[in-house]
Amino acid sequence: MAASSSVVPVVVSAAVVPALSSSGDFSNLREIKKQLLLIAGLTRERGLLHSSKWSAELAFSLPALPLSELQPPPPITEEDAQDMDAYTLAKAYFDVKEYDRAAHFLHGCNSKKAYFLYMYSRYLSGEKKKDDETVDSLGPLEKGQVKNEALRELRVELSKKHQARELDGFGLYLYGVVLRKLDLVKEAIDVFVEATHVLPLHWGAWLELCNLITDKEMLKFLSLPDTWMKEFFLAHIYTELQLIEEALQKYQNLIDVGFSKSSYIVSQIAVAYHNIRDIDKALSIFNELRKQDPYRIENMDTFSNLLYVRSMKSELSYLAHNLCEIDKYRVETCCVIGNYYSLRSQHEKAALYFQRALKLNPRYLGAWTLMGHEYMEMKNTSAAIQAYRHAIEVNKRDYRAWYGLGQTYEILKMPFYCLYYYRRAHQLRPNDSRMLVALGECYEKLNQLVEAKKCYWRAYAVGDVEKMALVKLAKLHEQLTESEQAAQCYIKYIQDIYSCGEIVEHLEESTAFRYLAQYYFKCKLWDEASACAQKCCAFNDTREEGKALLRQILQLRNQGETPSTEMPAPFFLPASLSANNTPTRRVSPLNLSSVTP
Amino acid sequence: MASVHESLYFNPMMTNGVVHANVFGIKDWVTPYKIAVLVLLNEMGRTGEGAVSLMERRRLNQLLLPLLQGPDITLSKLYKLIEESCPQLANSVQIRIKLMAEGELKDMEQFFDDLSDSFSGTEPEVHKTSVVGLFLRHMILAYSKLSFSQVFKLYTALQQYFQNGEKKTVEDADMELPSREESERKMEKEELDVSIREEEVSCSGPLSQKQAEFFLSQQASLLKNDETKALTPASLQKELNNLLKFNPDFAEAHYLSYLNNLRVQDVFSSTHSLLHYFDRLILTGAESKSNGEEGYGRSLRYAALNLAALHCRFGHYQQAELALQEAIRIAQESNDHVCLQHCLSWLYVLGQKRSDSYVLLEHSVKKAVHFGLPYLASLGIQSLVQQRAFAGKTANKLMDALKDSDLLHWKHSLSELIDISIAQKTAIWRLYGRSTMALQQAQLLLSMNSLDSVNAGVQQNNTESFAVALGHLAELHAEQGCFAAASEVLKHLKERFPPNSQHAQLWMLCDQKIQFDRAMNDGKYHLADSIVTGITALNSIEGVYRKAIVLQAQNQMSEAHKLLQKLLIHCQKIRNTEMVISVLLSVAELYWRSSSPTIALPVLLQALALSKEYRLQHLASETVLNLAFAQLILGIPEQALSLLHMAIEPILADGAVLDKGRAMFLVAKCQVASAASYEPLKKAAVLEAAIENLSEAKNYFAKVDCKEQIRDVVYFQARLYHTLGKTQERNRCAMLFRQLHQDLPFHGVPLINLL
Repeated sequence: MAASSSVVPVVVSAAVVPALSSSGDFSNLREIKKQLLLIAGLTRERGLLHSSKWSAELAFSLPALPLSELQPPPPITEEDAQDMDAYTLAKAYFDVKEYDRAAHFLHGCNSKKAYFLYMYSRYLSGEKKKDDETVDSLGPLEKGQVKNEALRELRVELSKKHQARELDGFGLYLYGVVLRKLDLVKEAIDVFVEATHVLPLHWGAWLELCNLITDKEMLKFLSLPDTWMKEFFLAHIYTELQLIEEALQKYQNLIDVGFSKSSYIVSQIAVAYHNIRDIDKALSIFNELRKQDPYRIENMDTFSNLLYVRSMKSELSYLAHNLCEIDKYRVETCCVIGNYYSLRSQHEKAALYFQRALKLNPRYLGAWTLMGHEYMEMKNTSAAIQAYRHAIEVNKRDYRAWYGLGQTYEILKMPFYCLYYYRRAHQLRPNDSRMLVALGECYEKLNQLVEAKKCYWRAYAVGDVEKMALVKLAKLHEQLTESEQAAQCYIKYIQDIYSCGEIVEHLEESTAFRYLAQYYFKCKLWDEASACAQKCCAFNDTREEGKALLRQILQLRNQGETPSTEMPAPFFLPASLSANNTPTRRVSPLNLSSVTP
Repeated sequence: MASVHESLYFNPMMTNGVVHANVFGIKDWVTPYKIAVLVLLNEMGRTGEGAVSLMERRRLNQLLLPLLQGPDITLSKLYKLIEESCPQLANSVQIRIKLMAEGELKDMEQFFDDLSDSFSGTEPEVHKTSVVGLFLRHMILAYSKLSFSQVFKLYTALQQYFQNGEKKTVEDADMELPSREESERKMEKEELDVSIREEEVSCSGPLSQKQAEFFLSQQASLLKNDETKALTPASLQKELNNLLKFNPDFAEAHYLSYLNNLRVQDVFSSTHSLLHYFDRLILTGAESKSNGEEGYGRSLRYAALNLAALHCRFGHYQQAELALQEAIRIAQESNDHVCLQHCLSWLYVLGQKRSDSYVLLEHSVKKAVHFGLPYLASLGIQSLVQQRAFAGKTANKLMDALKDSDLLHWKHSLSELIDISIAQKTAIWRLYGRSTMALQQAQLLLSMNSLDSVNAGVQQNNTESFAVALGHLAELHAEQGCFAAASEVLKHLKERFPPNSQHAQLWMLCDQKIQFDRAMNDGKYHLADSIVTGITALNSIEGVYRKAIVLQAQNQMSEAHKLLQKLLIHCQKIRNTEMVISVLLSVAELYWRSSSPTIALPVLLQALALSKEYRLQHLASETVLNLAFAQLILGIPEQALSLLHMAIEPILADGAVLDKGRAMFLVAKCQVASAASYEPLKKAAVLEAAIENLSEAKNYFAKVDCKEQIRDVVYFQARLYHTLGKTQERNRCAMLFRQLHQDLPFHGVPLINLL
């Protein structure tokens, strides 16, 4: 790939774009700013609006250039001059979305720019017609068959040009898009990689590449140009592949070198925090982002998810109204409103808004999953299953949909059946404790206690979000009369709660203390037992038991039974335990009965 | 023996073993093909009584129904069909379609406007409620529902359809040389196509709804009945993926994909497809109002049940049990007795894997009869018979039960169960050692093709019952020394059940056993030893047994004894009586081969008692043979002879050729031994008779290539001739012996000590 890209006439970059500094080298921010401004102009001229927007946003975050540093517009070539009139006319048509008309007037143009616009308008016209066609097709089977008719021709023409090495970076990008639309993923990846080599500044090509790469292995085997754009790409794809730690690291680096004002990076960081369920951080970053860029709609659906999770009704309501004022026919807006209604328990309305979001963009994955959740709330399990399945169809890696399917079947009281779905979710997010706890619960229901124990332990080991795994594990040990392990789990549980320092009401705290008190009582460790019993008295439901136990202890002590100091004391109070005796959170491979996939 | 669980799969396209097409809710859409049919109908109406002869009209009417209900076909095919019934009508239809397709949009619109005229008038051509009338009205309705752009699309589709048909006919009619310009264009097009062709091959274009349904039901029934005729797993999966790409809601395709994945034993994909299917089914069930909530819940139950079936199929019995429990619980909650009944049968199948309690089964049969589920009831009966046969019930009772269930099968035309029943009879007769009866039953099953009327055109060719019957047939032929025939049967099996298919293990085991026996007969123990590993892979118990036999033949007595003792304990635990008796016999042989026949006696008596109790005639007579031999060694040949008289009849009637030979050989030995005390004249007569028997035994041995035994027989004959003073015959036998003796290694066991 690298060899071939060097042969391709590097029209744009050779003529106007200076060589890009290599990856990780951000010393010359001015140069970068210049390049960003240049590419923003180039993409705008070609109607690649999103890339243009991205570059412009990033350029805006860098300090302004003095007049002397500003670059003159790229020189106009002979070819450009020839096509100038046609191009100007066509661009005007293009801007008002009259693609066919634009293509008609661009036919026969030779300059790169005009040629790209010609092909691009043909592509967009095909896409537009396809979307219109889907509404009235001739039958249910035909519905899925509506194709962009232009793709074939475009592919043939572009492949000829590609073989003749006449495509510039934008042309390669378009060729890649056409290939991807034809489901020729492998070829598409190759072409996109080539495009990034020829024109590394074009964010669109990187972004398309992001969508095609499914795992880390694939990423490793790509030979990407060694430029500073690669850093942005890597950060982005790490977020996509749920490699959040790496992604955050990259973004932090970018901020450190001077992109701190970029709203794009800030929003990506917020999304990353959202993905690892660090809700507080994500919330604060989003709030910051809203202050900087109050009319931003992108990523606001993620923000609303966070607000939803924290049940911040008033904030969510404010956000919903605000976004609705900005633009109510945006997918994100619909999603936020859906979340808002969902939080107010108006699930029908919520589902309606998610449906609207899907009408606006049928490929908007999140809405399917959220709609599934709404149907679940409405107890309409079949509709929920349908919605989740759709979500999976759009993106097989959507763990929330798998998890939702699992939950649906769990509600239908089919614990064995839902194991499969939870397992799928777990495979996608191996370090998410929620799936593990759900799996554990299913195994518990199926009376497969060994497997259940494994799940709970693992859930604890990977960092339990809901802090319930340990209690459940302890209860399992209790059931199996493995009192030592049970006590140890309770101790760890209490430690965890106290170390968190959260003053959230934990229902199981009393249970833990009660069990521990009784356990120490049985072991005749009177001091520990009485300490725990006293703790019990602090809770309503265990107060009586605690008192009774205290009395018993007092009685036994008074009878002259000395507290057995020489007895081997298996456990100490939580306080003494915390320092030395905490088990290492070693994550062993989760070896569940492996016969079922 | 035929096991039953395979047929318990819940197949949505099937009730009581009959595959139904058309289970999908069909909505009518106007397609170009339908327009062509409409034109045909219109033409038929227009041409008066006189124009078309009565015969032609009749043929046309017969043609109409498949045209109306079948999948879309190409225009040229349609023309051909019409032409076959009525050429002149075909011509006019062709002209009209040509006019319509080459004309303008308004021609089509006009056509549909005119269609409704056929209902009007005092004497309408078409009755409104007739099949044709309904079709016409459906089409008119569907057409008038189309939006403007859809009408235009339909028209372009019609043009396309027409042009494709034209191209075909032109190609067919005359290979006209394309004009220069055209060929150039063609060249260019081909050039463009080259790169695209590959992907085009992979997705051969979308199927219409009916075509897809037809494809699915056809493949499903082929998978069930004759797997070799269905598409290969890979290509079928490709087709399915293609189908699903265009219509992800086509749930049945997922089910077919599940079945397909089962073929290649892919547990992951098959689970995935199965669950996906039920997820989809649940939503279609919820949509259709006729089923309502009931349909939705129902599919949930069956989903769990199918999951259990899947796990059972892959041998995950614990998982299967969990899934089954779930299915049972849901079925109980919703009072679905039919589903519960299915669960019960599965429960039995699962239970069978662990222990043999027939309480469940009896209960299941009773319940199935009560709920009017003949399929499950007879499956239950068959399992019960199988189980009882192992438990040693008398044959007449079992056969009675099978006969009763057979009545049920014929009444309900459950051809699959008839097959199983016959295969089971074959197996039972074989178990009881009645080879003739077994042979007859196996042949009966194989010549069941004449029952097409019962099977309604469905030929079931790759069911387990066929594999079982054919396997028995091969073994029976091998027993009779017809090795060529046996290998012929095996070859056929190999074709019908390719090595990776579900039932292939059955014939593989037969094949290995036959090879093993031949190797043993030939005295090629090293070869037999290598086959043992193959047998062990397929059936561990059989493998261990055969290993012990090889060891014994190689005179490694202590190892053989150890193995046999272990095997005996194991078989007694799992109550495999057949194997227990075989092992006992081997142990006894081991004892008298190591010159302690007295210890062998109680073992043999135990074996005899067991085989009598379980009515295993073949094993019983073999035991008697062994007993007689032991007595001979112990020096009471008279007793041995009288014992032999008891056993010789069944052996000669039903036994394997090898057994026949051994029996005759033994008879001769006993005769000689008992003749020792006779007066000379009588002695000579007896010895003559013994020689006769020996030559008979020799013939038998020759059939199965038992060179060692032949050598012994010849030696014996030579001795006897010597005693009788017939030098010439003696010399001939002696020479034969010498030839054989040079070929064969000598194992150091005295000749007399071999049975």
